Amino acid sequence: MAFGWKYEILGLALFVGIWLLVTGLVFTRPQYSQFKGFLPGPTLAALMDAFQDSRFWISVFSSLRRILVGIFLAATIGFPLGIFMGFYPKFRGLSYSPLQFIRMISPLSWMPVALLLFASFESAVYFLIVMATICPIILNTTIGVLNINPQWIKMALNQGATNTQLILTIVIPSSLPHMLTSLRLALGVAWIVLVPAEFLGVSSGLGYLINDARDTMEYDKLMAMIIAIGILGFILDRFFQRLQHKFNRSWNE
Amino acid sequence: MVLEGKHMKNRSRRNFLKTAAATCSGLILPGLVSAFAQQPPLKLGYLPITDATPLLVAHGLGYFAQEGLEVERPVMVRSWKILTESFLAGKFDLTHMLFPIPVWMRFKQKNPVKVLAWDHTNGSAVTVRGDSEIFNFLDLGGKQVAVPSWYSMHNLILQMGIRTQGLVPVIKPQSAKLAPNEVNLFVLSPPDMPPALLGKRIDAFIVADPFNALAQEKFNARIMRFSGDIWKNHPCCVIVAAESFINKNRVVVQKAVNAVVRAQAWCQKNPKETAHLLSRDGEGYLPVPESVLARVFEPPKKTELVHPDWNVERIGFQPFPFPSATRFIVEQMKKTRVEGDTDFLASLDAGRATAELVDDSFVRKAMDEMGGIHTFCDCNIETPFSREEIVEIN
Repeated sequence: MAFGWKYEILGLALFVGIWLLVTGLVFTRPQYSQFKGFLPGPTLAALMDAFQDSRFWISVFSSLRRILVGIFLAATIGFPLGIFMGFYPKFRGLSYSPLQFIRMISPLSWMPVALLLFASFESAVYFLIVMATICPIILNTTIGVLNINPQWIKMALNQGATNTQLILTIVIPSSLPHMLTSLRLALGVAWIVLVPAEFLGVSSGLGYLINDARDTMEYDKLMAMIIAIGILGFILDRFFQRLQHKFNRSWNE
Repeated sequence: MVLEGKHMKNRSRRNFLKTAAATCSGLILPGLVSAFAQQPPLKLGYLPITDATPLLVAHGLGYFAQEGLEVERPVMVRSWKILTESFLAGKFDLTHMLFPIPVWMRFKQKNPVKVLAWDHTNGSAVTVRGDSEIFNFLDLGGKQVAVPSWYSMHNLILQMGIRTQGLVPVIKPQSAKLAPNEVNLFVLSPPDMPPALLGKRIDAFIVADPFNALAQEKFNARIMRFSGDIWKNHPCCVIVAAESFINKNRVVVQKAVNAVVRAQAWCQKNPKETAHLLSRDGEGYLPVPESVLARVFEPPKKTELVHPDWNVERIGFQPFPFPSATRFIVEQMKKTRVEGDTDFLASLDAGRATAELVDDSFVRKAMDEMGGIHTFCDCNIETPFSREEIVEIN
C-alpha cells in the first residue's frame, strides 16, 4: 500500500467513470437495446438481486473453493520445485525447456486430458486451475532463490552449513516474498481459467452463472457476475498483499 | 429457490448416507461387499437445449426410478465437444447427440457406439432478423450463416437447402468476398448466435431450440424455416451409449430406454407442463425462462410453415429410428462440406452403416409397452417400421 487509500478511491472512481462513459456512449443506441444490461444501472440492480439469491452465494462459495484449492495444490507442487530449480543449477537446466514448453500452452487445451484423467468434473476443474497457476508459481519462486545475496550463502558455507541447512535457514525465508508474489499472480490467472472451466459439468459457480446469462441473453446478470468476480478478486488480492507485507517486514527487521 | 435448497440438502444427505455406508462396509470385508455391490448409478449428460428433453423429463418425473434404476441428476455441460469428450472418457453412460456425431465416432474414430433410439424429431430452425430480406434458401446467396458444429444435422439440412437452390456452400474467412451464389458457413457456439445475429455479424443461423425461440422472444427474430418443414419429422438428436456398456448392462439399458420412451409419450401429450418442468421456473434443467420454452413446445403457427399440410411439430418425440432416415443422413453427410478430413465417408456404405450403428431392439420393446409405435406417429398401418423420407425445399 505504497500509495495510500485516497489514490485507490480515485482510481476506482475513474474506473467507474470510464464504464459509465463507454457503455453510455455505446449501449444507449437504439439498435443495441438488447445489450443495455451492460449499463451500470441494470447491472447494479441485477447484483442486488443476486445478493438475495441463495444460488449466488452457493456459486460464490464453490468458485472460491475451486480457486483456493487449485492454488493450494499448485503451490504445494510449485514451491518445492521452484526452490530446487533455483538451488540446483543442473536441475534448473534440466527443467528449463520442459517448463517453458508447458508455460506457453493455454491451460484450456488440457480440457480433454482433464476429462480423461479425472473421475469427477470437480477434480477436472481443479486440474485446469493447477495447470494454469503452477508455472507462475514455479518461475517466481526460482527467481526468488536466484536473487538471494550470494554473500549469505558463502558465509553459511564457510561455517560448514549443509545443503539442507542452507535451504531451510536461508533459501526459503529469503525467497518468501517472491513466493507470495507468485500467489498473487496465480490468483489472477486462476480467475481467468475459472469461467471457461465451469463449462464442464459442474452445477454452480460464478463462471457457471456467466454461462447461464449468455445462454439467455441476460447481460445485466452477466455484468453483475463480472463485478462480483472483480470484488472477490480484489478482496483475495488484498489478503495476499497483507500477508506479503507482514513477511517482508518481519524479514527486514 | 427454496425448492432448490431442499433438493441440495436431500442430495447431500443421500450422498452422506452412501459414503457412510461405504465406509462402514469397507471396514468389514471388502471382498464380500463387491460381490453384493449394487449397479453404480446411471450417469446422464446433456447440453442446455430442448434436444435433451426426453432424458430430462424421464429424470424429472422419476421414470428412471420407477423402472428401478438409480440415476444421478443429469449433468449439464456447455458444448458438444465437452459432451463427446466426457462421453468418451466414460463420464456419461447415456446421452443425446446430434445424429452425425455417432456416425463420425463409430466410423471415423473407430469408437464403438450405438444409437438406441431417436431422442426427438425436428426441433431446429433457420432464424433471421425480423427486418431481414431473407425469406427462402435462394435469398441466402452471398450471406453469412452460422452452424453449431460441422458434424451436425443443422449443417446437413442447411447445405441440402442451399444446394437445391443452385447455391454453393463455402467455408471462407468472414472478410473474404463472396460470389452472389456462395453461402459462407462457419461454426459459432449456440449462445453466441442470437447476439451475433442482432449485431449483424451474421445474416442467419441454424440451431436447436431454445436459441431460435430466445431470438424470437428477445428481439423479434423471424423463423425463416423450421427444420421439420424442410425434411418432414427428421431425426436430430439420438440416444447414444457405448457398445461395451450396452453388452454388459442389457437390463439396465432396456429400463433406461423404457423410461425415455415413456417420457417422450408424456412430452407429446403435455407440451405446457414440459416447458414448465425444464425451465428455471420449474426444475431448472435449462437456464431459460418458461415463456421461451413454451414457444418451442407449442405447435407452430400455420402461417410460419411452408407445408402446413405436413402437420409437423416444432419439436416431436417419435422414438423409432427409421432405417431410411439413417441411410439418408449418411448419404447426405457424403455431400456435406465440413472442415477437416472426411475420407472415411467416401467408402462408407449407408446400408452397412445403418445396420452397424443402430440397435433398435430396446426401443421396439419399450414402444410395445407404451402401446406400440402408433402411440407416437401416424405411420403406415401395414408397414409401420418403414417410411418414406419426405424432403421438400423451397
